[in-house]
Amino acid sequence: MGADLRKSLKGYAFILPWLIALFVFVGYPFFAGLYFSFCDFPPMKDPMFVGLENYTNLCTDPVFRRSLGVTVIYASVAIPLGVFFALCLALLLNTRIRGLSFYRVVFYLPHLIPTVVVALLWLWIFNPRYGLLNLVLRLVTTVADAWTNVFFDLPAALVAESFVRPSVTLLLAGPLIAFLAFGPWLRMTLAESPRWRLFLRICGVITLTLSIVTTLYATLHRLLPVDMQKLHSPGWLSDGNPLPSCVPFAPSWALWGIVIMGMWGVGQMAVIYLAKLQDVPTELYEAADIDGASWWSKTRHITIPLISPVILFNVVMAIIGTFQVFAEPYIMTGGGPEDKTRFVAMFVYDQAFRYQNVGYASAIAWMLFLLIVGLTLLAFRISRKHVYYAGR
Amino acid sequence: MRRVHIGLVCLIALVVCVGVFERPPKLADYDPERHAEFADTWNDRLHLAYWEKWGSFERDACQAMVDDFNRGQDALFVHYVNTSQVDRKSMLAIMGGCPPDVVGLWANNVQPFASADALMPLDELMAESGLSPDRYTPQYLDIGRYNGRIYALPTTPASVALFYNMDHFAAKADQLRSAGLDPDRPPTTIEELDRYADVLNEFNDDGSAQIMGFLPTEPGWWNAMWGYYFGGTLYDEESGQVTPDAPANLRAVAWVKRYAEKYGRDKLLQFRSGFGTFDSPNNAFIEGKVSMEIQGVWFPNFIRRHRPHMNFGVAPFPCAEGVPGPRSYLDADVIAIPRGCKHPKEAWEFVLHTQRGGLAILSRLQGKHMPVRQPPPLFRQGHPNLELDVFEQVAASPHSFIRPQLPVWQEYNDQLSRAFDHIWNYPLPADALAGLSGPALDAKIDGLCREEIETTYADVRETIQRKLDLYREYTARREAKEHHGR
Repeated sequence: MGADLRKSLKGYAFILPWLIALFVFVGYPFFAGLYFSFCDFPPMKDPMFVGLENYTNLCTDPVFRRSLGVTVIYASVAIPLGVFFALCLALLLNTRIRGLSFYRVVFYLPHLIPTVVVALLWLWIFNPRYGLLNLVLRLVTTVADAWTNVFFDLPAALVAESFVRPSVTLLLAGPLIAFLAFGPWLRMTLAESPRWRLFLRICGVITLTLSIVTTLYATLHRLLPVDMQKLHSPGWLSDGNPLPSCVPFAPSWALWGIVIMGMWGVGQMAVIYLAKLQDVPTELYEAADIDGASWWSKTRHITIPLISPVILFNVVMAIIGTFQVFAEPYIMTGGGPEDKTRFVAMFVYDQAFRYQNVGYASAIAWMLFLLIVGLTLLAFRISRKHVYYAGR
Repeated sequence: MRRVHIGLVCLIALVVCVGVFERPPKLADYDPERHAEFADTWNDRLHLAYWEKWGSFERDACQAMVDDFNRGQDALFVHYVNTSQVDRKSMLAIMGGCPPDVVGLWANNVQPFASADALMPLDELMAESGLSPDRYTPQYLDIGRYNGRIYALPTTPASVALFYNMDHFAAKADQLRSAGLDPDRPPTTIEELDRYADVLNEFNDDGSAQIMGFLPTEPGWWNAMWGYYFGGTLYDEESGQVTPDAPANLRAVAWVKRYAEKYGRDKLLQFRSGFGTFDSPNNAFIEGKVSMEIQGVWFPNFIRRHRPHMNFGVAPFPCAEGVPGPRSYLDADVIAIPRGCKHPKEAWEFVLHTQRGGLAILSRLQGKHMPVRQPPPLFRQGHPNLELDVFEQVAASPHSFIRPQLPVWQEYNDQLSRAFDHIWNYPLPADALAGLSGPALDAKIDGLCREEIETTYADVRETIQRKLDLYREYTARREAKEHHGR
């Protein structure tokens, strides 16, 4: 026996337990599931081959269509939001501020809490009457209503003849116009007094933000009166109506609840970004500083291209994760209200363990698998032009 | 490297030793604390495993029944094994060829287990032992029946009735009288129930609910069953068709929708979110937030636990005018012998005991009635449930009903729940209802949502009927295949 062969055999011997487990616990169920997807298989009877019937039934099953719709809507909202918030968080955590380690730990902590605990915790947070979220919302919307009412006809928006109150709106618009008009002037001529310049800039930013937010809030009240009224104390997990209500395929309030809860756990994604962010060569930033690049230019032209492989990784993981969401909605809503949070993974579970249709459940699981593979390949294909690998 | 190898070998040897020499606990292991009174006959007895779902005081009742059996003879010893998710674990155990000797299942498990040949039929054993089917309330026995044969027998039954807060009735006595209602008795029809509820409602200054006279969604456990109180059924035995959109069922849904619109969906949602869990002092009825509620025979146990001096009454839940009553949804826990158990004959001895002396112990300690036509003479004497006669009355009524015994029931129930939620949340234009009240408001609500109700429930019918037909087709194919194989 040659030395190389002996070495190889030794290596295989070491990974043998893992290999056996892989074949027995992953390989066998994987291919058995494929076979069962072509069978009628109540768990306590032998599987009976029915050809493609499970797949054809799937296409006409309204419950499956609904659950697939919920999953796709959730993915299309949760993935971009998750990736965006995680990136913002990572950029913030990458700055040099005091207590940075503390913040990093705080944002990663939610990921360490078991899913069931998180779900039960959020059930309380989402309680329409006593929940923390609605407590804050009630306070914020009451203040916002009172403030916006000074400038716009809010509560009577539906019946008021004039939406805008011209006289008082000047109070809001005046500083805004002043800021827009004199902003560049401030920037150029007040350099001699940095404190004044900073003060005026802060005032300007506050005024601008208030103007935009107030106008936006009033406009939303005008466009979506029902939703904005609900926003004072939403029913969250019990409300199956879409938000915004004028968009039929918009996520329901209940689904938004699950999306918001999902955002709580973006810390893990942010930590992965952070690891890559710290890997970006500082010379590039130094060169950009010499060229007078702004923060936004550096982020756009250096940071994002260099961390793009990690963005792709996070997007792919998010695709896989969002299409397999199960525990949170199972515990929090059980799929309700009106099946508005019944994800495909829950439908698979129900078919296999509650309705005793293992064959049908296997077919759904395979459809889900193919869908995830397809979307992942699509993500790779789209990313070809946008992802920068420094090694290549 | 050598040290690593030696370490690995030692580790493997340790795992093997633990695997070989570790003695797992056995059913027949003697526990001097719990089994002292059976010490003399312990080793001579055959030990049986009884998997049952209950914890808390229901578990104590089951244990008392088991103890009664163990004390009554010295050939067998039954071990009560408290098992969560008993249906799934039993299924796995039966499939794995290692089932318990006796299993306590939920009523909706009978059909899937029996159709899969996972339970032993009990008809012959009953006949041999002289256990007549006639002694049972027919609906309770039907729960354990599949394809004409009995596979499971009832243990603790359940019936439901109307619970009403007598203090609320007394506090609003004058208003009730003014509305032409008697404050000293509960409503007898659904139409009367609505009128009582209207008077008993109390609202805060901002229009939010403080007390609701009645809410069809509280506790929300039998939302799919309201149609029966309007004279409907969910399944037509003769045609073999599901009938969720039968006119009486749709009438029931419209009745529920009227509550949603009259008092405001969002306001009721806020109100309901303030309710505590069922087994807590913040239960909506126990706390006095809801004056009338449909609940089961078990409820007095919980009322007396959390608010011992609550002044409440119980009456048969009213039916719609013209619908014969009293009627109640009936359910039951069942006991069965899994196919493939090691000691079926001995297991039957225990099941037989549960059906003879055991039922009285179990039902009494759980505060429930018995699933038989004639309870033992002393059963009612000193019974902890002071409202027992009402539940016995509704359980004995020929109009009371059980859920349809369908293989697709779980799916059917889920779809009915979805449809119910959909109609409850279906938005109606607020300006169309503005300024209306009484019958005009009801008529307007009915008119605005009739089409949506009809479409939604027709969809449920189509979906479930397709599943049912598919199940029948596969069953027929399977039988043909088996027949051909022979």
